[in-house]
Amino acid sequence: MRELYSKTGEWLKGTGPESDIVISTRIRLARNLANFPFLNRGSEEQRKEIEKLIREKLKEAALTKDLHYIKLSEVSPVDRLFLMERRLISREHAGGDGERGVAFGRSETVSVMVNEEDHLRIQVIRSGFELREAWKIIDEIDNTLEEKLYYAFSPRFGYLTACPTNVGTGMRASVMMHLPALGLTHHIEKVFNAVGKLGLVVRGIYGEGTQAIGDLYQISNQFTLGKSETEIIEIVESVVPRIAGYERMARKALMTENREQLEDRVWRSYGMLKVARMLSSEETMQLLSQVRMGVNLGLINDISMETLNELFILTLPAHLQKQEGKELEANERNVIRAAYVRKRLGEFQ
Amino acid sequence: MKCESCNKRHATVHLTEISGNEKRERHLCEECAQNINNPLVKMPTPADILSSLINQVAPEIGEMAKTTCPACGLSYLEFRSKGRLGCPMDYTAFKKGLTPLLEKMHGASQHVGKVPSRAGKELIVKNEVLQLRRELDKAVEKEDYEKAAKLRDRIFELSTNNEEKKDEGTVQQDR
Ligand SMILES: [Zn+2]
Ligand SMILES: [Zn+2]
Repeated sequence: MRELYSKTGEWLKGTGPESDIVISTRIRLARNLANFPFLNRGSEEQRKEIEKLIREKLKEAALTKDLHYIKLSEVSPVDRLFLMERRLISREHAGGDGERGVAFGRSETVSVMVNEEDHLRIQVIRSGFELREAWKIIDEIDNTLEEKLYYAFSPRFGYLTACPTNVGTGMRASVMMHLPALGLTHHIEKVFNAVGKLGLVVRGIYGEGTQAIGDLYQISNQFTLGKSETEIIEIVESVVPRIAGYERMARKALMTENREQLEDRVWRSYGMLKVARMLSSEETMQLLSQVRMGVNLGLINDISMETLNELFILTLPAHLQKQEGKELEANERNVIRAAYVRKRLGEFQ
Repeated sequence: MKCESCNKRHATVHLTEISGNEKRERHLCEECAQNINNPLVKMPTPADILSSLINQVAPEIGEMAKTTCPACGLSYLEFRSKGRLGCPMDYTAFKKGLTPLLEKMHGASQHVGKVPSRAGKELIVKNEVLQLRRELDKAVEKEDYEKAAKLRDRIFELSTNNEEKKDEGTVQQDR
């Protein structure tokens, strides 16, 4: 795990289609084994048995045998938070208890959560707007696992899941978007309402019920039954460019109508990041968000998108603590975070 | 004054909420006040939607009330209160109660997506045909007759092949 601390996953590269606004694309599949109860109803023993079985099969299957496996019961809370900040596991998986694990690849494109709400949660994350590519990869992984594991499936209801909101395809396709201008112009709620009517939901970056920090939002399908995987992807695929277009329009409007204020806002944020001696995680995300928009609009030219995207993750609490090699109080973290950001952005002389 | 939401930070934002005849003062810190205005906090999560739906759909509650899954022992009422199923069998055991719930939740109760190969060639083809029919409907609606014709041919091809396969299957079983 150590080699993860100082680098970031492939999905943060800042490349791929629409990458000025779309940060990453993620698809996950929920799967359960036919011969076991769902986890909320299973005994500790069954839970252990499921974990062992899936762990062993992951080691056998062609597309998952090279993944690195971590038993979450054996690592510290900071390590679990670290994996969550990395989006390799969900918040629930980081916080849960009992035998459970995660397998992930070197590039962090693929991860498989074992014993989350369902026995298996397979996910693929790609940089930029790459739903089809992500689907191709995850579909193949699912096929190789299906050869080894007996999935709970019914012709009527599809892949059976612990929560009926996931039944059918068991698929959630989500796209993480950076929407600062829609936030600034107070149009974001309109987007949420419109998107809701199309059967999509908006979430914060770490999933259900989490806040939108740094103007980052996840747009994903709400329905999983009655539509094929391809149809679901088509819906998300048709909506995301429209939201991106709306964000670009809002940016353009800000540039023409409130250019001074916008430039002031962007440069103040940049300046703050370069001089601050203490930065909280939320403030950092908020400032980075403004700077990121500034780079997209060509107002700032001396910093790469990759560095900015990386800073969103590397300044999170567990990442900082891992880099420092020790647990830190919030105040200590704020000092170290500010120093780290100054170092990465080039200190104000 | 301490913030009434987190009880930690100093309350610097003072709001007056009026609902009906009631007036309510709220004293919050900067951070908690922001959360109130955060549109995401107001967005229901799928779990919220589920629990509100479960309460809306009350089919044959008398009949379903006595139903218990023979495999895991979960009762339908327990499912209703917790919103989580106990085992794959529950989908069969609670079918009567679940179907209207799924209809409300997903706008459908028939799976049309991927089928694991273990479930059999036949079902895979059946689902593909089902999907192609929907695409055919869409193509006709859009008056894209060229595409419609192609889809129709493909559906015909799949349906006839499937019949043949079924026969092969029985022959093999007899052996
Ligand atoms: Zn507070
Ligand atoms: Zn059951």
